[in-house]
Amino acid sequence: MSEVIWVDSEKMYFDNSVRHKLQKLMDSSRADSDLIKGMRVALKINTAEEGYDYGLRPGFFRPVSERVLAATNTRPVICDGIKLADYWKQIRGTNYLKLAGAQGYSNETLGGHFVINGGFSGDEGDLFPCKLKDSELGGVEVGTAVCRSDALWVLTHVTFHPLFGIHGALFNAGFDCLVDRAKTRLLKSINPYIFNGHKPPFSDLRAFQCRALESFLGVQASMESKMFFINYLWDMTPQPEYYPYSETPVIENMGFLASRDPVAIDKATVDLIGKKCPSEVLVSSGINFIDVLQDAERMGIGNLDYTLSRLS
Amino acid sequence: MVEHKYDPTKWHEMQGPIDGGRDTYQSKSWNPTKKKWGTFTQDGPAPVWFSEANATNWTESMICKTKDLFYEAKINECVEKGDEVAIKIHYGEYNRTAVLRPEYIAAIVEEVKACGGHPYVVNDTTLSYHTYNSMAISQYQMEGAIRHGYTDATFGCPVLIADGYSGEDDYRVDIPEGLILKETYIGRAIAEADAMIVIGHARGHSITMYGGVLKQLGIGCQSKRGKYITHLAHWGDPHDAIGWPKFTDKCPGKACKFHKMCDDSCPRNAHHVEEHRKVWYPERCRLCYSCQVTCLFSGMTGIGFEENYFPNAMIAHADAALGALKCFDRGKVGYFNCAIDIVPECDCFPWAGLAVAPDVGIFAGKDLIAIEMATLDAIDNAPVSPGSVADEKGCKPGEDRFKLVNGFSPRITMNAGEKIGLGSKEYKLNTYEPPMTPEHIAKWQIRHGGVDNQKPTTVRLRDVFHKHDLATEVMPFGRTEYNKDWVWNEWKKYDPT
Repeated sequence: MSEVIWVDSEKMYFDNSVRHKLQKLMDSSRADSDLIKGMRVALKINTAEEGYDYGLRPGFFRPVSERVLAATNTRPVICDGIKLADYWKQIRGTNYLKLAGAQGYSNETLGGHFVINGGFSGDEGDLFPCKLKDSELGGVEVGTAVCRSDALWVLTHVTFHPLFGIHGALFNAGFDCLVDRAKTRLLKSINPYIFNGHKPPFSDLRAFQCRALESFLGVQASMESKMFFINYLWDMTPQPEYYPYSETPVIENMGFLASRDPVAIDKATVDLIGKKCPSEVLVSSGINFIDVLQDAERMGIGNLDYTLSRLS
Repeated sequence: MVEHKYDPTKWHEMQGPIDGGRDTYQSKSWNPTKKKWGTFTQDGPAPVWFSEANATNWTESMICKTKDLFYEAKINECVEKGDEVAIKIHYGEYNRTAVLRPEYIAAIVEEVKACGGHPYVVNDTTLSYHTYNSMAISQYQMEGAIRHGYTDATFGCPVLIADGYSGEDDYRVDIPEGLILKETYIGRAIAEADAMIVIGHARGHSITMYGGVLKQLGIGCQSKRGKYITHLAHWGDPHDAIGWPKFTDKCPGKACKFHKMCDDSCPRNAHHVEEHRKVWYPERCRLCYSCQVTCLFSGMTGIGFEENYFPNAMIAHADAALGALKCFDRGKVGYFNCAIDIVPECDCFPWAGLAVAPDVGIFAGKDLIAIEMATLDAIDNAPVSPGSVADEKGCKPGEDRFKLVNGFSPRITMNAGEKIGLGSKEYKLNTYEPPMTPEHIAKWQIRHGGVDNQKPTTVRLRDVFHKHDLATEVMPFGRTEYNKDWVWNEWKKYDPT
């Protein structure tokens, strides 16, 4: 049974703003209990593509980077990878930084060292094994900003995802941490931009989901399991941040979750969403995210069973 | 936001694993040597433009003259509309003071944008160099860069590390023409650019004797493994090749007050101190200079360089510069040498000595060797700054200043560079003096973008005053009696001369 802490979005007040809630979340989940002075911590965030207008504001990450700085006396590395090798804007390092800057993401606003995971090309990484019997991938190349750090905090903007069901901790800490080349290898024949008219067969999607979960094991190996997860249930749009547009959020903002178990936090996420959202939305693109979570548990990534502690 | 057009990826054709995995890494199309690469100067002396330091009016501002030279030297022709343009500078070591002021870089960035290019400022990570180096790790290097004022906000474009988070994001480039090196590794943000403007800080250097734009290409564009190779790490056995550190019997062992710092200097634990000596494990050594430089920085002589190391390293860095140049088509690289704060050592030193010459000025051109020769000649002919190491060594104007200061003539590098096709030592110096006309004054005072300053400031203030003039609210000022004695005599009591 894994522990998940939920600080909801209710009872906002001058001393209970988003900033206070995030601090409460980190206090309650003992987020920094395994950090020591001098430790290099990477914060994996999501930076949106141009045209996607519901990315998280820098202020959502700032309290977290300040907490890490206080615990380690070292400014954290804040990173995200270059987007998929296609024809959108974030495939070049310079465009990536320009876009992130236009969205307000900078060293100054985020409170850490903001870099591209995988360098200018997005291909700078190391190979780590996916420790799984009958692994399809064998190993994956994890971006350097992540794999050269001592610990990884995964700060995930929860959205729906056309290939994975829900973009949560599992996807952000797995597929999203890989170098560009490895991402392309995992996708194989799947077009990640299904709005372009090339919708992959369901069987291909299931195979991709298993590969994406395997890639989490590679990232986990690179971090020696020193990982902590925060899910931001905020501006949950039907499209993930790598899309060049977004429809309006389909669910009201529900606050923030924290856990050390990526399966439990994503299960709690989907359970909370399920209470507010029609089931047909939850199985968008024909993907039942519960199936993905069950695969993750089968691979030993985490537990589906969890205890949820709610704080307002 | 910049509009880009990319061919859509043919996802349905990617059924199997793609090339570029670990087995095929850098074995196929990873060498970006441009087919149209070539020496810029085809015949005759290469033109170099120069504008002297000092200013007495708007047009003579060093920043304005730098912008003028961008067009006089036809550096603008390096940039075509839509080009991704790497602006290569040195980010400077933490606690270094003699680095270029951000305005020089911002000035070039602005003109690249005016030409329709998309600039971004780059530098590569370094090797460790010494115990407290802060340029070997990208995070440390960027913190230092920000401290120097090198940020997106000051330059108006992205500022990034060319070879990635760890210095491993690079391309291999073959250089069969090289005299010593046959390959090098270039940071991808540089290798993938369409054009490059190199802004060199002309000053001395302890290994290559002098560092200007060629040094920016020969070491500055190299990723970590490119730098290892340029340090001659590829060259032979540690016991008979010159690239390796020289452990001498002058090491006092644990009697040296810096021995702990010395032990800490190696990122690979390739040496440790014993009672009266150092023990070295050459199989772990990769030639990062950390032990040698830490020893030398501490004023000790226990670890040094082999005889003849420096001239060979100088020639090797000319080879490596060729590797960087081959990533661009002919005529797509422009150079500026800023002979300002001409200190004896490199910007990777965490301090700055007194300048060996007064500020000389700005050089610009498209021939790498020619601009370096022009800069060196001008520095050699400049007065010797009193109190500097050049002065201490009795240097006279006209002598090879960096040879006297650092040990070998930087012209060794230039001779090697000319031989392998980096450029021409023969140059024709065009001295530029800005015209003092109303149009030329306005040219660089009127800002385009940023503050929309299409009018002279005073004319713009007319509009402001028309809406609200603070002065009218307090006019007339409260009057006091006119004091003729103050005007003619009293103030003189405050003048000590």
